[in-house]
Formats: sequence, C-alpha cells, structure tokens
Amino acid sequence: MGTENPGRPSFPATPFAAAPPTMTPFSNSGSVVGSEASNLRPMRPTVPPNTSPPMTAGPAGSGESPAFRPAPPTRFNDPSLPTPPSSYGPPAAGTFNRFPTPPFGSMPPGPPARAPVVGQPPFQPPPSQVSPPLSFRPQGQIPGVPMGSPPPGVNTPQIDSSFPASRPNFQPSFPPTVSGYPAAGASSQLPLPGYVKQSNAPFQAPQGPPVQSPFQSPPVGYAPSAPTPSPHFLSQQGGLAQAPPVASPYGLHSSTMPPMGAMQGLIEDFSSLSIGSVPGSIDPGVDSKSLPRPLEGDVEPNSLPEGYSLNCNPRYLRLTTNAIPNSQSLVSRWHLPLGAVVCPLAQAPEGEEVSVLNFVSSGIIRCRRCRTYVNPFVTFTDSGRKWRCNICALLNDVPGDYFAHLDATGRRVDLDQRPELTKGSVEFVAPTEYMVRPPMPPLYFFLIDVSISSVRSGMIEVVAKTIKSCLDDLPGFPRTQIGFITYDSTVHFYNMKSSLTQPQMMVVSDLDDIFIPLPDDLLVNLSESRTVVEAFLDSLPTMFQDNLNMESAFGPALKAAFMVMSQLGGKLLIFQNTMPSLGVGRLKLRGDDPRAYGTDKEYSLRVPEDPFYKQMAADFTKFQIGVNVYAFSDKYSDLASIGTLAKYTGGQLYYYPSFQAANHSEKLSHELTRDLTRETAWEAVMRIRCGKGIRFTSYHGNFMLRSTDLVALPAVDCDKAYAMQLSLEETLLTNQTVYFQVALLYTASCGERRIRVHTAAAPVVSDLGEMYRQADTGAIVSMLSRLAIEKTMSSKLEDVRSNVHLRIVKALREYRNLYAVQHRLGGRLIYPESLKFLPLYGLALCKSTPLRGGYSDVPLDERCAAGFTMMALPVKNLLKLLYPSLVQLDDYLLKPSASADEFRKVMKRLPLTADSLDSRGLYVYDDGLQIVLWFGRMLSPDIAMNLLGPDAAAELSRVTLVERETEMSRRLMGLLKKLRESDPSYHQLCNLVRQGEQPREGFMVLTKLVEDQTGGTNGYVDWLIQLHRQVQQNA
Amino acid sequence: MVKLTMIARVTDGLPLAEGLDDGREVKDVELYKQQVKALFKNLANRPNEPSRMSVETGPYVFHYIIEGRVCYLTMCDRAYPKKLAYQYLEDLKNEFERVNGPQIETAARPYAFIKFDTFIQRTKKLYQDTHTQRNIAKLNDELYEVHQIMTRNVQEVLGVGEKLDQVSEMSSRLTSESRIYADKARDLNRQALIRKWAPVAIVFGVVFLLFWVKTKIW
Repeated sequence: MGTENPGRPSFPATPFAAAPPTMTPFSNSGSVVGSEASNLRPMRPTVPPNTSPPMTAGPAGSGESPAFRPAPPTRFNDPSLPTPPSSYGPPAAGTFNRFPTPPFGSMPPGPPARAPVVGQPPFQPPPSQVSPPLSFRPQGQIPGVPMGSPPPGVNTPQIDSSFPASRPNFQPSFPPTVSGYPAAGASSQLPLPGYVKQSNAPFQAPQGPPVQSPFQSPPVGYAPSAPTPSPHFLSQQGGLAQAPPVASPYGLHSSTMPPMGAMQGLIEDFSSLSIGSVPGSIDPGVDSKSLPRPLEGDVEPNSLPEGYSLNCNPRYLRLTTNAIPNSQSLVSRWHLPLGAVVCPLAQAPEGEEVSVLNFVSSGIIRCRRCRTYVNPFVTFTDSGRKWRCNICALLNDVPGDYFAHLDATGRRVDLDQRPELTKGSVEFVAPTEYMVRPPMPPLYFFLIDVSISSVRSGMIEVVAKTIKSCLDDLPGFPRTQIGFITYDSTVHFYNMKSSLTQPQMMVVSDLDDIFIPLPDDLLVNLSESRTVVEAFLDSLPTMFQDNLNMESAFGPALKAAFMVMSQLGGKLLIFQNTMPSLGVGRLKLRGDDPRAYGTDKEYSLRVPEDPFYKQMAADFTKFQIGVNVYAFSDKYSDLASIGTLAKYTGGQLYYYPSFQAANHSEKLSHELTRDLTRETAWEAVMRIRCGKGIRFTSYHGNFMLRSTDLVALPAVDCDKAYAMQLSLEETLLTNQTVYFQVALLYTASCGERRIRVHTAAAPVVSDLGEMYRQADTGAIVSMLSRLAIEKTMSSKLEDVRSNVHLRIVKALREYRNLYAVQHRLGGRLIYPESLKFLPLYGLALCKSTPLRGGYSDVPLDERCAAGFTMMALPVKNLLKLLYPSLVQLDDYLLKPSASADEFRKVMKRLPLTADSLDSRGLYVYDDGLQIVLWFGRMLSPDIAMNLLGPDAAAELSRVTLVERETEMSRRLMGLLKKLRESDPSYHQLCNLVRQGEQPREGFMVLTKLVEDQTGGTNGYVDWLIQLHRQVQQNA
Repeated sequence: MVKLTMIARVTDGLPLAEGLDDGREVKDVELYKQQVKALFKNLANRPNEPSRMSVETGPYVFHYIIEGRVCYLTMCDRAYPKKLAYQYLEDLKNEFERVNGPQIETAARPYAFIKFDTFIQRTKKLYQDTHTQRNIAKLNDELYEVHQIMTRNVQEVLGVGEKLDQVSEMSSRLTSESRIYADKARDLNRQALIRKWAPVAIVFGVVFLLFWVKTKIW
C-alpha cells in the first residue's frame, strides 16, 4: 500500500486535480455496492492526494482480498475467451483479455452477462452495477483502460507476480491474457488519441466527473494489490502525461491496477464518453450541482446545418428532431415522439414581422398537385419557365406575370424582390377563391353568470370594468360586434340598439325550448352602440347585486348564445361561476371521488360526462365560434366537462379557484384584457404539408379536426401552439431532404383574409445518432406532455407517469446501445447533448399539475384546467411552467443602484431544490402563471420592513404587495413588472410566503421544487439513478 | 325586404364589399351568391350592358346599378317595391363613392372596403319596413323612372354562354355515342355470322375426322 501512496499524490497533478469535488457523490454508490462499500467510504476522503492512508485501511479492513481470490478463477476463465468482441476498439480488447471479456462485450446487455461472471463475492459490486451503477462502473472501466499502459512489459510482470500469489488457478488462464495484452497495449494507444480527438472539446467539461470516478475505483479494487503497482504506476504516469486529458484517467487506473486490482478494474466498465461529438454523461450518484439544468430557459435550436438558413424561425415551427429518419426501423428505434410543434402566430420581435404579399392579381403560386405554396425551396428550371415543387417534385408552369429570367447560377434575377422566395415565413393576401363569405368582423360575445356566488365574489364587477376599459382597444374598429347574455336560473338578453339610451333586458325562462326574443340588436356594432354598451356595463354590477339565485341555466344560455352568434361566428367568452344545474347540459356533482383513484375508473373523472358539451363545441367550431371559458368556482364544478367547450373550439380555459375580487381582480383583468385585445386570427384553418413518404397522422392541442388533416381554429392568437406527429408512409425515404409547410388561412381583425405560410426543411438521415444529435428537447417535451395529458383521459395517472418514464428510458437505452458498445460506457448514464435536459423535464412533467400524485395532491378541477392550459401552451411557456425560474433577490435589493444590465445578471436562475433556498434570503419563484415571493426565516427584518411596511409581521397570506415609499420596494415592483412583461400571456399574481408557514409554503413552493423528493416522488438524483438503472437493465 | 347586398368592381368582378350578416332568412343563400358572382363576371365580359337592370331569380329579384365602374347589387323579395330597392342602391352608391371613391381603381384585394358593411347594414334597416313614413314618402316620389328599367330572367342573363356550352356538349355526346353504336353493330354482325355457320362447320369437321380415323385404322 505504501507504494501506492506515492503514486496517488501524483494524480492530483494530472488532470484529475479537478476531480476531487465530484468525489463525494460516490459515497452513495459506495454504499450501494455492498460488500465493497466499506472500502469505498474510506476512500472518498482519501481520494485526493491523501488517499493513501485510508486506502490501505480500507482494503485491509474489509478483508477484500479473500473475497477477491475466489472470484478470479472464474473470471479468468471467461476472459480466456480469447478474442474480445470485435466491436470493441483495440483498447477494449486489452482490457478484456485480462478480464472477463464476455462481460464487457455484453456491456450493453451487460448486467446479466456479468452477473454470472462477476458473481463471485468480491465482485458483487460489478454485477450489482445496475444499482450502484454509475459510480462503480466508471471505475471498473477505467482500470480496463490500463491497457493504456504503454509498456506492456511492465504490466505483464506485475500481473504474473501478483497472480501466482493470489491463486494458482490463474496461471493457466494467464498466457492468453499476456499475449493478448501487448497487442492490446499497442493498439490501445491508438484508440486513445482517437478518443481524445472526439471528446476533446465537447467533453472536457463532463470529463471532470468521470475522471473522479476512476479515481475512486482504484482504491477500492486495488488496495490489496497496492505494493506491486507502484513502479508500474509511475512508469505509466509518465506515459500518460503526454496523453490527452482523457487518456490520463486511464493511465491512472492502470497504474493503480495491481494484479488483483486489474481484475477488478477490468470488470467495471469504461467511463469514456468518447461518443461522437455531442453526448454527455453523468454520474448520478455524484454532484447534484453538476446535473444539467435548463437555467437558461428554453433554447431554440439555432444550429441548423448549412443550407437550412431559409427555414422559418423556430418560434413558428419546431421539429422534435431536425433530422428525419429515412426508414421505419429507424423511427421505431427513436422512442421519442417524432413530429412538430407549430405556433403559427407566434409574436415576432420588433422588426421581424412576417411580410404581407399581395398576389391577388396574378393568383398565388401553388403546386398543381399538392397545393404547396411557393417557397424558398422551390427550384426554377427551363430558364425560368417552370418550377419544381419541393414537396411533391412536380414540375409546374410559371405563370406569365410571375416569370423572371434565371441568372447563370440558376437563381431568379428578381430574387431580392421576392420575399416569398427568400424568407421561410410570409403572408399572402388571399384572393376571393379562399373565401366562402366576406371576411367576418371581429365579434365578442359575453356569457356571464350572475348567480349569487359571482355577485359575492365580485367577479361581475371586475369583468364589467375590464370589458369597459377594453372597448377602445378591441381589434377591428369600426366593424367590431359585441353582445351580452347573462344567466342564472333564467336567461337574460339585452337589446343594445344604437337608438336606445339604456339597454333593454329581456328575460327568457323557458329553458327547455330556448328562443331568441329579438331578431337583431342582441349583437350590435360596437362603434354605433357604444353608449348603450357602456351604460350596460356600468349598470351590470348593480343590476344583480341583490340576486339570491343560486341556480345556473348554463346549457340553455349557451344555446342562446350560439343562436345569436351562429350567423357570424366570433369569440364567445364565458364567465362561469356555478355548476350548471338547470336545463340541458346540467351536470351532476359527480365529485372528486377519492375511491376512484388508482382504479380503472379513475380516468372517467377527467373526461366530460355529458356529450352535450362536446356536441356544442362541434357546432361552435362549425360556425366559426371560438370559446374561452373563465371559471371561478370555489367548489367542484366539473371543468372536465365545461372545458371541452374551449378544447374543441381552439379556445382556452382560465381558472381562478376561489376567486375573490380583492385578491384576484388584477389577474383576471389582465388576462381578460389580453384575451380581448391581442391580435386574433378569425375563422382560421390550418394545414401542414410535408414531403412525399411522410405524413402527419395525429394532432394534439385545442382544436377540432375538420377533415383528416385540416385543423379548424375559429379564433387563434399568438398564445396557442399545436403539435402533430409524423409517421413514415414508405419504408424507405429516398430523398435527401424533407420539407414542411404550415399554412394558416385566416381573417385578420382588419378584415383582410390572409394566408400565413411557414416553410422549413430538414435533412433525411439514416443514422440514429444524428437524429439524437439534432433532437430538440423543447419540442419533445411539449409533445410528450400533450400525449401524456391526452392519456390521462383514458388511463390512470400512475400509468401515464410510468409511460413518460418508460419513453425516456427507452430513448436513452437506444442511445446507449448506439454508443456504449463501442466505447464501453458501462457505468454512466449517457445521453446526447441535445437531450441533456430531457430527464429533468420528464421528471417535471410527472410532477406537473395534470399528472402529479393522486386524489389529495391536486383538486380535480385544477388538474383538468392545467391540462387544458398545457395543451395549448407554446414551447417556451410550457418549459417555463415545467421548470420555473427561482431567483434570489435580496442581494439585488440591497445593492444601491441597478441598471437594466445588472437586472439580467440578477436574474440568475437557481436549481429548483430546497437547497437553493437560503433562510436568510428573499427569493422569487416564477412559473409563468404565478409568482411567489419566498421570505426566508432569517431574512433581515430591514428588507421585510421596507417591502411590506407594517405588515411585515403579519401572516403573509393576508398581505398584498403594494408599492411603498421605499427605494427597495420600488425596485422590487419594477422587477416584478419586468418579469410580467417578459411573459404577457398570463398575469402572474404575486403570492407572499414565509419560510415555515405551513401549509401555504408547502403547496406554493415546496411541492413545486421539482428536483426535490416530495410526497413519495423522486428527486432529480433518484430519478436519474432510476432511469439509469432501467436503461441498463434490459439493455 | 333586402336580402343580400353586394358591391363589386365591374372591370374585373372583384368584390369590394358585402352586407354583414346577409341572407339569414334565405334558403339556398349560397346558390344566389353564386349567381351574383356569375352575374358580375358576365358584366365584366360585356361592358355594354345597361347600367340599371332587374333580374328575376326564383322568388327573388336582383336589382343592380352600375355607376363609376362599380356595380351595386341587392337581392329582394319580388314583392318589394322596385322603387325602394333602387333608392337603396342609390344611397349606397352615394356613400360608397364619397368614402372610397379614389381608391376604387387601386383596390387590389377582395373585400378591400369591407368596412363599408356597417353602413350597408345601417341603411338596410331603414329600408326593411316598407310601411314606415319615410319609405312611403319615397315611394310616392317620382324621382326615378323605375318602370323603364328592364327586367329579365336570370337564366337569360347567365344562360347565353351556357346554351352554347350545352349545344357543343350535346354534339360531342352525339359523336361519341354514334361511334359506340358503330362498334356495337360491327360486333353484332360478327356474332350473327358465327351463329349461322358454326353448326355446319362442326358437322363437316366431325365427318372429316371420322373419315380420317377410318383411313388410319383400316
């Protein structure tokens, strides 16, 4: 052992110096290992230069040596399998020869194979790899590398000596090993450099951890053998020094590898990450700080390969992978969803708006056969007289007035004046053929519940005020139409004829056969009837203030609204406060039954009970009516049923549980204002076309399909995204590139009919690795979450979660099979760089409101509402919702001055674990839907006083944050404002929570810290370990 | 009662505006809209049509006036006074020219003046009821020589082109059918021939066969 020590110190000097920090993580793994655990523990501390003392103690104490001996024989036999699998690089061969080759070869399928071999007592750990996985394997592998040891001669002697000592049995097996070894040694060097090349740049960072692991391993396995190694070790080190960083780890191990150690090390896998360029690796047991986290938020894929610069911006269209597989078999091996997430009207930053082109006179240029719109990827031939469609490859004639000559390179001479040929996103003004009727005016119809609970909660007043304040900003002046219906146990209509001064109210109480009391004037032109509308909104809150009616004739009111609107279409906003109790569409209090959870009936709570609502939604869509539902009930109100109205009409469900005007008015009025004033596309249809051989087969989001591939969207805006999955129609794609084209035909609020066209291209690949490399986590997560939410409608939450888990496991396993074999990455979880956040988002998805826990974790209505919301969210917002930002504020507030620049620096997102919360700090948590300010228990009273004034001592649930006369308060409010502005689609209500204030802190913050272990769910680290284990199990 | 109102540019038939919420009570409103569009196209092809005309179609009548290369058209019940209809169109024309006059020639997209629909709607309401004082007064006014306006049937107007099409279609059907007839006749002829001579040929065949067999065996 003593000899070893000298060697150790030298390690630090080598690249490993960096390693130490990570070392700690191993401790976990150590314990897992079992018998060896004891050894490991001492080791850890020692790992750094000082390792030597503990090391010795460890091995000796554990009495590992005995354990080892028995094992060797068997192993060797195995190893005797002379030829290492050809698949392994030469280095591998080296390792294997010494050790049980089979295990290695089987690496991917690994665990089982090994188990028998390693099965021997000492080596249990390796077999157990599955469980202790990460930490151990790496070690093992590293030793394997020893072959790295250039001087074969040195090694062999050692081995010999050690082996005889340990066991006679070994001897026989030896010869083969030895012989193999030199060869391996020679060859091994070659591989190493190669490896280095690949891994160099990309991997350096990840390497840190891997290196460490090797470190530890040596101690464990080798301790006993220590004496012999020293010389060997030194020599190797020298050799290694020249070697690239990656190589060095191996060197280390090899050095540590004494005879016995060698064996052990060999058993373990190689931790190299030498895979291609992108993949990364983790040691789960290791440093939780080094785990990948999307602290930068969503990163849009911008590294498109050369030649795809004409693609539309990814904010409009994102593919789950930017490399389309060329065969069915490849698709089936890519276990993640294959498809696209489309947000056709995404808000473009200033200066990047989509340009509008007018082709009315000449007609829009489209392919004769597949109706593709002309786009940057079409090619002109025959000196400009023909163009070839990029999607179906048909040769079309160029119409006379679109003709232009081609220059020498085959480009049109007028290319720079043709945005449709240079930009991925354009808008065409639609000619008459694209209209079935004249462009409709923007139309807003309000259906307001005026029963007692909505009066009491103050909802009516807020709504009336907000609508009134928005009248000036409604899009489409002067054509905008507006109308109102209110309902409790009867339905009230309002005549708003422009010649009146006050609206006339008409009450219809025949709920079974609802009719419209007046043919016109229920829906009026806003600019003409402005005064009447204002008078109505002014009087609305007082009109019903004494209403004691508790019933709700929601169904009949809905039908009435439908009758009024059906002629024009438009947007129907429903403010619903009570469970529908009268007339058609009444709902039962089927309740949130705890007994249903965990049974096969569970899903039925989440699907609409009464087909009435789906039928209504279908009718609404048919007549171009989009429905937005604002639900306020504090009791169960079966949003699963009511929400379908929004779901199938391309709308949105806003849910304000236990709405109280005092607390929530700001949120409601912001969101209603945005709903009313954002640019909206009316009577829209969307179709996505793609090249030959592939087809979009399923669509996910809030809309209704009109035919197999035509998405009907009565009203659509920038806050809605849609996902669709692809499948291959032919077994083999022959073309090099496939193209996607999203076309949205809609009526703008100004009365123009337009077609917005986004075109993108993606290469076709035959290599699974490339698919993984080009994967887009954001799109994948968006797709996965939509699929998962849809699945909650037909199965148990538990199944849905395990399904998500399984998909990730399968994908990682496939990836692992792809690379682990070549590179023997046994002990680590490997994944492509592009998917480094996938496991975390998967975890977050399983913990998101729609999928989380069971009965008691989330009220059913909230779960359904969140499901509807997540089905519509664009990628960026979804990712933020899944992995919210957590930022420490106290430093920022204390600092004297702050500029915008500093603001950015302040907004450094922290990992979502309880560890990030310091009880002396003030944190802001923002998931895009709400903001929580978390006050640490030890937060300096000064800050609290400044921000909250005299309320600082009160219970924070009753305190609202208002701007105070202090600098600090002003800055905080400024900051919150900025946060809100950065994501205007929802208003993030600010909640205050003090540390330790239960249960508020629990459900507002602690359960949302997705990386923590809460209520029987996995923490991030456990999740990774579990993933990893499963990835390896059936590999 | 005014059912439909459409305004289009005569030169190319481009629709410029249309009444909001039109045709609520009309069955087959799409059919009538198609007819109107065909009519506009016709007008574009034949510039010499009279500038005022009434065209009967089913239970309704189209009334239109062409002024300043713009055609204002409305569809009313047959019972609706012609005089009021033209008065209505006149009102539309005045307002339309006042508001959009200069841009009419340059309008490049369909329904470029869709904002005009609010005015159409408002005016329409004034003319909805023939018994209001205002409308009765108008009826009594001899402002326009309405009775001189020609009334034709929609089939006549749209049918000129259609008839030619029909004739050519019929003749082409005739040629193809006569060709089929000739083929069939030839076929039948051949079959009759076979039916006539086949038994004789078979008898002779058998006889010769027997002879041949006989010579072989003996």
